[in-house]
Amino acid sequence: MELRRASSRDERVDGGALVLAGGTELVPLLRSGLVHADELVDIRGVVPRGISDGAIGAAATLAELECDPQVPEALREACRLAASPQLRNAGTLGGNLLQATRCWYWRLGWACRLHGGAECFARDGEHREHAIFANGFCASAHPSDVAAALLALDATLLTNRRSLPVAELYRLPTEDDRRTTTLAPGELILEVRVPECDRSTYLKAMGRKRWAFPLVGVAGARVGGEVRVALAGVAPVPWLLEDGFESATPLPDNAYKLDVARALVARVRTALA
Amino acid sequence: MARLIRTEKEVEGRYEEVWLVVEEDSLDQWPPGPREIVGRPAPRLDGHERARGEAVYTADLKLPGMLHAAMLRCPYAHARVARIDLAPALAQPGVHAAIGPGDIEQLAEECGFEGAPVAAVCADTFAQARAAVAAIDVEWEELEAVLDPHEAVARGLTIGEPRVKERGDYERGLAEADVVVEGEYRTQVVLHNPLETHQAVVRWLGDTLEVYISTQFIWGVRDEVAEKLGLPRDKVRVVCHYMGGGFGAKGGADDHTFVAAELARRTRRPVKCSLTRREENLVSGNRNATIQRLTIGARADGKLTALGGEYVNAVGWDGWSSPTEGPMNLLYACPNVRTTTVGARINQPPMKAFRAPGFVEGTFGLESLLDVLAAKLGIDPLELRRLNHADHDADQGREFSGKNLLECYRRAEPHWERRHEVRARSTAAVKRGVGMASQIWYGGGGPPSYAWVRIGSDGRATVVTAMQDIGTGTRTAMAMIAAEELGIPLEDVTVSLGDSARGPFASISAGSSTTPSMGPAVRAAAADARRQVDEIAEQLGKRGAPAREVVSVLEDAQILGKGARGPNPTGMQVLTFGVQVAEVAVDVETGEVWVERIAAVHDVGRVINPLGASSQIEGGIVQGLGHTLSEHRLHDPASGRILTQTLDTYKLPTIADVPEIVSELVDEPDSHLTNLGSKGLGEPPIVPVAAAIANAIRDATGAEVHSLPIDRAEMLRALREAEARERARETHGAAARV
Repeated sequence: MELRRASSRDERVDGGALVLAGGTELVPLLRSGLVHADELVDIRGVVPRGISDGAIGAAATLAELECDPQVPEALREACRLAASPQLRNAGTLGGNLLQATRCWYWRLGWACRLHGGAECFARDGEHREHAIFANGFCASAHPSDVAAALLALDATLLTNRRSLPVAELYRLPTEDDRRTTTLAPGELILEVRVPECDRSTYLKAMGRKRWAFPLVGVAGARVGGEVRVALAGVAPVPWLLEDGFESATPLPDNAYKLDVARALVARVRTALA
Repeated sequence: MARLIRTEKEVEGRYEEVWLVVEEDSLDQWPPGPREIVGRPAPRLDGHERARGEAVYTADLKLPGMLHAAMLRCPYAHARVARIDLAPALAQPGVHAAIGPGDIEQLAEECGFEGAPVAAVCADTFAQARAAVAAIDVEWEELEAVLDPHEAVARGLTIGEPRVKERGDYERGLAEADVVVEGEYRTQVVLHNPLETHQAVVRWLGDTLEVYISTQFIWGVRDEVAEKLGLPRDKVRVVCHYMGGGFGAKGGADDHTFVAAELARRTRRPVKCSLTRREENLVSGNRNATIQRLTIGARADGKLTALGGEYVNAVGWDGWSSPTEGPMNLLYACPNVRTTTVGARINQPPMKAFRAPGFVEGTFGLESLLDVLAAKLGIDPLELRRLNHADHDADQGREFSGKNLLECYRRAEPHWERRHEVRARSTAAVKRGVGMASQIWYGGGGPPSYAWVRIGSDGRATVVTAMQDIGTGTRTAMAMIAAEELGIPLEDVTVSLGDSARGPFASISAGSSTTPSMGPAVRAAAADARRQVDEIAEQLGKRGAPAREVVSVLEDAQILGKGARGPNPTGMQVLTFGVQVAEVAVDVETGEVWVERIAAVHDVGRVINPLGASSQIEGGIVQGLGHTLSEHRLHDPASGRILTQTLDTYKLPTIADVPEIVSELVDEPDSHLTNLGSKGLGEPPIVPVAAAIANAIRDATGAEVHSLPIDRAEMLRALREAEARERARETHGAAARV
């Protein structure tokens, strides 16, 4: 495998090449054989990293964001509660948004729907950490704390091709298209623009005190009287809580997530009031 | 004089009768309390070299010409190899040899669990070996997997004979009870996860086989390898200088060692076989799941009249049925006890001993239900435990060699008293409470074990014994014992261990036995050397002079002392005891549990190194915390394949999960046990953790947890159940008033 440094944002990344930033997600995926690459293109030199005027470079590490006062509280907390200090020192904002599910079936390479197969093994199997929303086709849960925070903050992403609301980065997998993001091949997230808000916060329930993916993460941001709430760990994509919990379809062994989510949403709303 | 005795040997609750040559243990115990060195805190002698990365573990070994092995493992819970062709693997770059089913007994065509070894390859690099394993052409025939332990038992798929233990008249005991409580408790599969995975490097030197291995029992590996390979035992040399943890799973040679030995034989090169973390989490052993149906009957005054337990150990494809019923049989004075224990053989990876196997699981059930009883009787849980204190072992009809559990209870009082203040800090969403649980377990060690002590004219002493320090600090403890007996400074003692070719037989490091087995032998050897120093002093006319001064005349001559572990006290039960008090906070809306403080008071006889002892207690509690709250080996319910093979899904506690830990030891020598009066402390601290936490949760919330781990789902389930119970009581109460 070759490792090459990208010289421009529009550098061709195709064929068997993959983009590498912090590597905290890609390297384990390569090692476990879930993705393959002939070439890795290190993009840290061409993707912005700084923070200014509500624009955050996608190559900023989580560690840089968690302690920067310019960063809204929800995003800072989401970074602080993610992973471990070592991982946050390496992992980038852009990479965090693009991480794959932690579904154990998917991670072990089972021929599940997300891998193009015909079955979601988690639905009838072991799904205690899986999705309670939009889980009919695939019950995987999206693990990004940061994505939930940005969704609540109504952030916009700037790529080398376009600008899009963070919500539009994600798509639910379908029979015809199993992808969970809308990023085109060669498209790089360069910057994240976070609009001003009055207050924001992020609460997270984990299986232990630190260094765990969210069972349920709840981000909230208030602009005037409007509170936007978004959840991590409850659907195959970061989940904007538009019509409450009406649409939830918990599975037999993950109904507890609904209780946890309700409690954390109530706390977020109280904290932002 | 050497004495031949027929004695019972106990390791982790399993007894066997053996003939033993033991030497008389003629030394008097030291008086209780700290000595010059023994009983005073000492940092680990090898702390710096370990922290600096200089200590060479098996994982660090790179022998000249060494090849790396990788294994093909069965991907199904139950399958048969229909066809296998190793030729494509042999054609891969860097590959030197490949072996498959039938080449050695450890590689078989029928696989009863996911991860069962089928074939192995060795190559110049580990990456090449793995690539070659992937190239093996294999066709599987998947077979029916039995996963449900009850179904396995019903179908006669069991491991070991079912155990029935009965004393008194259980039915009559129940009839005499004023109150009877019942409960079903379940414990999960948890994994040892030592930092150093299972591994061995094997090298043939002429007709001698060298085995460098991460092991808890150098001599056990030597004998097992010699027997299976048909070698004289002294032609097998087993080495383990530093060891990265075992927790019970590294008692045997295991498949990887025999794979490495066969590949080394075929290639005439040293071969290393190291398990990856995934393999470690799949096949290296586990604490098996249990199902416990328990009944306690008591009189209104709190005296237990009947204890009953039906235990199912979900053993896995192989292993043994651990003494889950042990605490019920041993912990309390109760005239009528009946337990049945059955081991279910299911298509899951084999269990192995894991830090107090059976007792950790059994204590969770028994001590949880005892607090349910306490609440029903309106008796303080500590008082209830005192009321039913056992003054002898009614199970075996033996006296205890030493027991200070009542003293542990007394010392736990200030911690128990905190419950009022702790509860008062509850809020609407976060409830706080305090719970306790008692601990009982083995830990007396036994013979045989030997040590030599060598003193040179520079006055320095070397303890030579082929024991292993599995990371518990026994190297330091042995140096302390020798220094104490010799009357020389601790820094003047070196311990040479970890090599079966360099020193006499030494105990297994399992069953909390290293210190109580090896310590008395080391002291005896030091005393033998000391006696010789005194004789020389006498002849020099320097009676009572410091050893260093006496031996300074020796030049190249050496004082050589030898010592052996004496027998355990005849007809006595040697056990360890303790109590832990846990303080928890429960978020009743989200089901989150924080353990805020655990106070541990244990009785393990004389404490050799208080610093090492507190470290053992902390380690045991942290491991127990994982068992209680977050660790859970999961499998796919349909196929039986293991889902938690990596450390993101298998959640060990982090340092953020660790509460304040207050540890205290009674430190009273067991006057009947050896020349030291010391028992082991490796296992006792993990035994009561889960029950103490569960009882604290009950105290805080009224919720009764019945399954480990107490994850959010179980916590919220128990809270809902408690609410429903409360509602029913109110409705019932209202109805009664009408």
